[in-house]
Amino acid sequence: MIEILSFLLAYFVFPGLLFAGALGLLFMGIDRKVTAHMQHRIGPPIWQEFLDFGKLLGKEDITPAAAQGAVFTLAPLLALGAAVTVVLLLPINSAQPALTSVADLIVIIYLLNIPAISIMLGGYSSASPFGAVGASRYVVQLFSYELIFIITALTAAFEVGSLSLSNIVTYQAQNGWLVFKAPLAAAAILVALQGKILRAPFDIPEAESEIVHGALTEYSGPKLGLMRLAYGIELFAVAGLITVLFFGGPVAHTIAGVEIPGVVSFLIKTFAIVLLTTNIRNIVARLRIDQAMKFFWTIIALLAIVNLIIVVW
Amino acid sequence: MSFVLPIGPQHPALEEPEHFRIEVKGEEIVDVDIRLGYVHRGIEEALSKRSYMHGLFLAQRVCGICPVSHSLAFIRAVEEIAGIECPDRARYIRTIGAELERIHSHLLFAGIAAHEIGFTTLFMLFWRDRELVLDLKEMLWGNRIHSSETTIGGVRWDIKPNQVPKVLHNLATLEKEVKHYIDVVGSDRTILARCANIGILTKQMARELCAVGPTVRASGVNWDIRRDDPYAAYSEVPFKVIIERDGDVLAKILVRLREVLESIQMIRHALDAMPGGPIRAEFKGQVQKGEATGRVEANRGELLYYILSKGGEKPERVRIRTPTYANMPTVKPMLVGGTIAEVPIVLASIDPCFSCTDRITVIDGNTGKSKIIAKSELRRLHK
Amino acid sequence: MKAEQVVQLIKDYVKDVKVTNEWRVTAITDEQHYRGALSTLKTNDILHLSTITGVDLGEEIEVIYHIDCGGPLLNLKLFLPKKTPSLLSVTDIFPGAVLYERDLMEMLGVEVKNHPDPRRLFLPEDWPKGNYPLRKEAKK
Repeated sequence: MIEILSFLLAYFVFPGLLFAGALGLLFMGIDRKVTAHMQHRIGPPIWQEFLDFGKLLGKEDITPAAAQGAVFTLAPLLALGAAVTVVLLLPINSAQPALTSVADLIVIIYLLNIPAISIMLGGYSSASPFGAVGASRYVVQLFSYELIFIITALTAAFEVGSLSLSNIVTYQAQNGWLVFKAPLAAAAILVALQGKILRAPFDIPEAESEIVHGALTEYSGPKLGLMRLAYGIELFAVAGLITVLFFGGPVAHTIAGVEIPGVVSFLIKTFAIVLLTTNIRNIVARLRIDQAMKFFWTIIALLAIVNLIIVVW
Repeated sequence: MSFVLPIGPQHPALEEPEHFRIEVKGEEIVDVDIRLGYVHRGIEEALSKRSYMHGLFLAQRVCGICPVSHSLAFIRAVEEIAGIECPDRARYIRTIGAELERIHSHLLFAGIAAHEIGFTTLFMLFWRDRELVLDLKEMLWGNRIHSSETTIGGVRWDIKPNQVPKVLHNLATLEKEVKHYIDVVGSDRTILARCANIGILTKQMARELCAVGPTVRASGVNWDIRRDDPYAAYSEVPFKVIIERDGDVLAKILVRLREVLESIQMIRHALDAMPGGPIRAEFKGQVQKGEATGRVEANRGELLYYILSKGGEKPERVRIRTPTYANMPTVKPMLVGGTIAEVPIVLASIDPCFSCTDRITVIDGNTGKSKIIAKSELRRLHK
Repeated sequence: MKAEQVVQLIKDYVKDVKVTNEWRVTAITDEQHYRGALSTLKTNDILHLSTITGVDLGEEIEVIYHIDCGGPLLNLKLFLPKKTPSLLSVTDIFPGAVLYERDLMEMLGVEVKNHPDPRRLFLPEDWPKGNYPLRKEAKK
């Protein structure tokens, strides 16, 4: 009984839906503010994403008549569910995540693909040419970054000798951050991050000026709100994963006599990674899908594979 | 299997409503069909029902970005038929007005081009600097874009000596920024990846299709109405005609940015060399029998007004041929063979102004009236 | 090219030439000779047709070809009877004429033969046939 309750609490409140959702939307809001200032504008307040989400929930729920209703409706829920589950598997508060399994890194990698797949399903089922083109671009982009992501995540696991995230955190607490031991992999995973969260130069599947909104074109109202919430949580989750793998994860520090709890250090590091992606996306143009694929499969793949080989030997 | 991707009439890539039916196989474009007419407003007919002065205000509003050019072309034709000689000082002021407009329009285009390739930061920065020019226009003539400073016979307002320092100051800031942008555009890897060797228009195709403006100057065609059929003070203000050879989107952007630098020089020279004297000759409203063709180098290319007068207060016929109308046939050869991802940037590279293109007559309100479909840019939640 | 040179080139195909100033030449031709004039200009490297204007003069429809001759603008005019206004397309000489001729067809009802794509340009598909908006008798 207690276990069920504590699971529900973890899933819906901390570090689950409420916590991750709030932080995800907050990160997105701060990203918009920072972007605005980089562009010499003022920009919306950092609470804007919350207001948008609330507004979307209040709008009429429309499913296009030609769309496949069940898949179309299911897609945002699937994305949200998977993203929240990933957060449960991350060590946020301490080296112990809310939910553990034996090989949680593999589980996470699989789960993190589900939001991508649900967006594709949403695009294909929406009966719109823009949705179809967006979804197909997403498929191609998935083939670009996902392998890099897997290779670099496994590189971290190989260095530590374990697939369990709590082991990776404790290893780093004793031996220093993995970013110093596997810098090429860290660089590669940060580029793969840019592709995974669809930010310039890799925001091709949602290229607003070309295909309206890509796979999400036909989404509106509460479904779109859920998709965006899922995106926010995914952003938080993937950045959090990178923090855990390469930047130490939730480690408590004592600076000048003040104790900084692990969760705060985790949040700061995760946020720094998000800001890095913001910075990159504001200083480049968007690439074409074939250019993005070429970039990933040559330079970035090289970095990742070289580091993997170094670590394995 | 090829399928048709409709772009427009409402689409975030398009500033104004128009319809392109693009037939694609996968991502490759195999055919393009352009359907115009979404913003007919019946202007040619309307002009023949209005007096010349009234018509001038209407002609300015054919376009929301190049009203000065439309005024100048219309006025050039009217003044030729009516035998009105514009005073020298007014000619220089007209030149300054036209060049300020060219700068603002090219910066607008550059921002849109940046937006089309997903480089929002650059878009914002171009438009931030465009404000420098719009501030000047507001200071000199009261309005940011539809400034109505040119009128039949001359200009309405003089440029006062105490306004000159601000003009020079803003132009100096702008010149520095634009030089920086030219560097950025020519060297940023992502911009080059999206703009170099895309949407190529060969010199031969450009000349055969009778296209105009910076679009053809980017393909190596050495032609500029300001030099070849001069008006206002262009025969007295020295300037270079900017040419690029490659004919791709990058060349089109660079031509326009370099023209901005050239325009800044021209305004400085004009302010310096402007003679004193009256700024307006008298126009009594009546124009004798005759016909004339007024041509100007508008921001987008050659703009032509043909006016036929049978004597009296109103023209008999006014024919307007705008630069985007002339450049429409070039869209197909530039797009075919490319990919969907290139469509917005290639379309943007001819600097299209569909308000200008669609201004032909719809007389009555009965069947088949063409509505003005308001440009509704779909509001996308910011990602 | 100078205005005088333009006059020399087309003098066999035109009836009435007026040189208003160094930048404007107006010439009147007819249905038999206009293509000859345009071809001669093209062989002398004059490739730019600025536009084609149609004017309803009551009994006649005036068609004006405005051609940029590298300096002077040539206004080549011809007059067609209102009842049966008909022309051959010039897109084989000036490919850039393709849109202007469609414009002429739908707005003034001039029949342009051999046009590669004689669809409507600006008017919507359901605009009634035979109703030419720029003609004087177009209904209110």
